[in-house]
Formats: sequence, structure tokens, C-alpha cells
Amino acid sequence: MPLSAHAVEEIRALPARFPEIRSAVMPALDIAQEEAGHLTQEAMTEVAELLKLDPGYVVGVATFYTLFHLEPVGRHHFSVCTNLSCALRGAVEICDHIKRRIGVGDFKEVSTDGLFSVEEVECLGACEYAPMMRYAHRYHYDLTNEKVDALIDAAREDGHGR
Amino acid sequence: MAAEELRGSHGEQRHHVLTSLFGTEDLHTLDVYRRHGGYGSLEKALTGMAPEEVHAEVKTSGLRGRGGAGFATGTKWGFIPKDIPGPRYVVVNADESEPGTSKDRYLMENSPHMLLEGVCIACYAVGAHQAWIYIRGEYDGPYRRLVDAIAELRADGILGARPFGKDFPLDIQLYRGHGAYICGEETALLESLEGKRAQPRSRPPFPAVKGAWGRPTLLNNVETLATLPWIVRHGGAEYAKFGTERSRGTRLLSVSGNVRRPGVYEVELGVSFRHVIMELAGGPPDGRRVKVFWPGGSSAPVLPESMLDTSTDLDELARVGSIAGSGGVIVMDDSHCVVRAAHRLLRFYAHESCGKCTPCRVGGNWAVRTFERILSGEGGAIDLQILDRIQESLQFGRCLCGLGDAAGWVIMSTMRHFRDEYEEHALRNECSVAKVPAHA
Repeated sequence: MPLSAHAVEEIRALPARFPEIRSAVMPALDIAQEEAGHLTQEAMTEVAELLKLDPGYVVGVATFYTLFHLEPVGRHHFSVCTNLSCALRGAVEICDHIKRRIGVGDFKEVSTDGLFSVEEVECLGACEYAPMMRYAHRYHYDLTNEKVDALIDAAREDGHGR
Repeated sequence: MAAEELRGSHGEQRHHVLTSLFGTEDLHTLDVYRRHGGYGSLEKALTGMAPEEVHAEVKTSGLRGRGGAGFATGTKWGFIPKDIPGPRYVVVNADESEPGTSKDRYLMENSPHMLLEGVCIACYAVGAHQAWIYIRGEYDGPYRRLVDAIAELRADGILGARPFGKDFPLDIQLYRGHGAYICGEETALLESLEGKRAQPRSRPPFPAVKGAWGRPTLLNNVETLATLPWIVRHGGAEYAKFGTERSRGTRLLSVSGNVRRPGVYEVELGVSFRHVIMELAGGPPDGRRVKVFWPGGSSAPVLPESMLDTSTDLDELARVGSIAGSGGVIVMDDSHCVVRAAHRLLRFYAHESCGKCTPCRVGGNWAVRTFERILSGEGGAIDLQILDRIQESLQFGRCLCGLGDAAGWVIMSTMRHFRDEYEEHALRNECSVAKVPAHA
């Protein structure tokens, strides 16, 4: 699926913000990822063409950073911190609970309905609220199984919306 | 953004340089910030001080960088060449990702304008008209705060061609990171800002001479810059009255892990970790003892309970074999296993290695596999020797940046203070800790 006309227009406007065009590559990949939920090979090639960069270069950048998803993720994707401060307060158990509730065996596996996935991430810098996660472009604090259940139930009802 | 319960310092206290206004309703807006004297320091600097005078106040203050290295801020500013024509930049390191560290987030959420005022002051002092804030991509809340705050400043004219009537154009741009711990290292951050894989550069040239897009660049941490408005307002000498001889002022410590009141606490440098952990953060849960703590983020060599009286003074921490680092104080109680904790952290360092330097690229994963052998009961004496060999190979300048050293320090310091736990696991497949996490 090619990028939408709107995305192309946004990407074309990016280089003007920077002293050098290459700095636009990550903001451009953000726009591309927002369209499909993850970065397809096709989208990365398109970004490369729009920014007059080598496609291999763009893939090289995308593969370096964890916020770029090279494989599909669920429409509702939970990023749970399991670094030390959160692990000391039950983050691993929270991850196990989420996996059971959304019906996946492992991190980054997408539930059969395509709705959910969960990944463990490194410290998100909100250690005083541990355990915590990032979901739907915001932080969720003091996680308990009940809080997570409420989010999953609301997402099931909603059905979409990343 | 939903208002979260503030966990940490806020309100007036004798030593609250940064957090005295935190908790004030709508402090994040320009209107409220200005009502409390905000941007008075920038106006004072722009209209009444020469850049050299601002620089002199910062030198007098004794302020040392709060990102991790603790380098003297005034000295760092002095490295920016005065005679190179063309653009120069101030780049803000807001890529806070050191495990156990949340103070820059706390600061940006509570008072984005305090940071922005500091950024403008730094720009004036080093002759930069453009600043870039490199903020970690996961920080949605602080990012929105900064977007709004910058828009307010543009509308008001503080960012623009003539801030406070002074012919000194100022602008601040935001750049979002994409999830890479290594970007906290300043040259990796610059690579990332330039749209590349974030691999540290070899130095020289230093960023002060050849930084962002090849131009002279000053890089400072969020907390460092946010301290500037206070210093300009009250003078460097007033700031230097706080703290100790070599560690002036106050700093934010993020206290997390097994404590009753985790939070971001502003302390006067020189107070003890006993005060920070047992009093401010309330100590461990009932019936538990502090077993070990990381005094400055996960990269800081651990200290056992017997060293709780260690001072927060930067040099004192170095003297006892650790570092003050990012001010992330991680506390672990006696219900947790040190070997499992070290394994978890090594997974982190292995994952975040950028792959440029061989000891770090190879050593991190090698250590993780060794820990896995030990923890699965298949270890032996040889594995302890391997860990010892790896930690040694990661240190002492064998890598371009500190990530390798940090990984080595986790192994070295946990083995130094908890050798018996390593031997239990490796030699006897036992764990004396009553309760351990299901898997670390």
C-alpha cells in the first residue's frame, strides 16, 4: 500500500525544517509508520525516494531504533517497562498477565484478531510510578492486573484506534 | 494530560532551587510562569548583562552537569570558540533513558518554561540563535508540554527577532528521539539529530568545535539548563552556598524500586543516601531491609546497605568506587536476588549497545549468555571467571563511550559486594533469597 497523498505532502515539507535533508528521515518514517502501524519495505523505499536518500540507508536507520516497528503490531500495542525499577515492583508479572488476557504466547506476537500485542521495553523514565507502560501515546502508571484488564476491555469495545 | 499525583519535591523549602514552584496550578503555562517571575532572568541577561557576565556567574556557581558526567558547566561553555563565523547551536539533551532516572521528565512536565528560559540564557551566553531540544520519543507528555510552551513563546515574541527588545534572535526547535539509550551520549545524540544511526563519534573534534551539522555546539542536560534562571536571578555566589566544596548546589534524585515513597527529590548535595532513601523515600517496605542501591542510575556501581551513609557529593561517590551519574537512585530490598538483577541490567546493556566497539558489542551478549547459564543451574567456577574477564574487557577506555564501562561496572560491583550470591548460583545452583521475581 503506497503512502497517502497527505503523508507524501507532509514528508516533502520536512527537509525545510533542518539544516540538512538527512535529519528529516526519522520524522518521515514516523509519518509512514503512522499510516500502516508498522514500516513496510515499500514505505521505507518511498520515504527514501521522497528524501532523495538511498533505500538501504533508510532501512539502516529504521532498524537501529526501537520505536520503529518492522513487523506488524496489534492495533492496541502495550509497551511495558521491565527494567529494574519496574521489575522490582511486579512488571514481569504484569507482562505475563497481559499475554494471557490478549491470548499471545510471547512478546511482539499479535493476537489472532489483530487487536493486541505487547512488548517489553527498557526504562521509560517514570520510575516513581512503577510498574508502568506506554500505550496509545501516553503513560499508564501504578499498573495492576485490574487496571490492565480495564484498558483491554475498553480496547475490545472500541475495536480500533491506535 | 491528566494531572498525576506529584511524587517528589514541590513547594517552598530553603534548598528548593528547581522545585519551589512545582505544584502551582497551571505552572506549565507562560502566564502563570511569568506571574511567578518567569523569564525575568532572561530579560535581566539580555538587557543588563554581557554574555561573558552570564558565563562568569555560571562559573562562580560551580554548577556541574546533571546528565551523568558531572563536568563543570562553566568550563564546558568555555570550549565554544568565539571566533568561528556562521551558525552555532545549543542542543538540549532531553533523551533521559538511564534506568532509574525520571527527573528530567518530572521537570519538563511541571515547568517546561523553566527549561526553555534556561535554554535561551545558554544561547545568549554562547552566542547561539538556534537551539534544538532532543527529547526521547516515548516522552509524549513532556513533548506536548514543550510544543505548547514554545508556541506561547513565539506568540509572545520571547522567541523571535527581538526578545525583550534586544537584537538577539532566538528560536527553539524540538526533535524527537526514537528509542535508543545510546543517544544520551552526546555525540551519538548528534548523529541521531543528523538522521543517522546513533553511534558515538571518536573525539576530537569535540562537539564544542564540530557538533551538530558540523557546527560549534553546546550540549547540556535538561536539569543543568533549568538551573540557569535561578543562577542568573540570584547570582552564582548564592547558588554556590548550597552543597559541598566540590559539588555545589542542589540536584534532583529519582528514587525508585523497593521504597515506600518513590519520587523525584531535590536535595542539597552532600546529604547522605541514608537521608534520601530512608527518610525522603520512606525506606523499604515493612519487614524488609535495603540490600543494595544504585546511587546514580543503573550504570553506577552498586553500593551495599553498609554504605548507606555515603554522601551524595559527586567526588565522594567516586572515592568509594561509584559515580553520581544521572541521580537515579534504585533501591533493592532483601527479597530480591542480586545475580538476577545484574542479569536484567546486562540484557539492557547488550540490547542498547550500538555495535560500533567490539568489546561492548560482543561482551554484553556474552555476559547475558553466561548469566543465563548460571541462573539455569548449569554454571560453574569457569563462568565466574568469564564474567570477571568480560567486565575487565569492557572498561578502561576500550570503548568509545561509557556504555561498555557501565555494563562492566554492573558485573564488577555486584560481584565485588555479593560474591557469595554468585557462588551460590554458579557452584551450588542455590538462591538464598526467599522471594525472587518469576524471571528477571
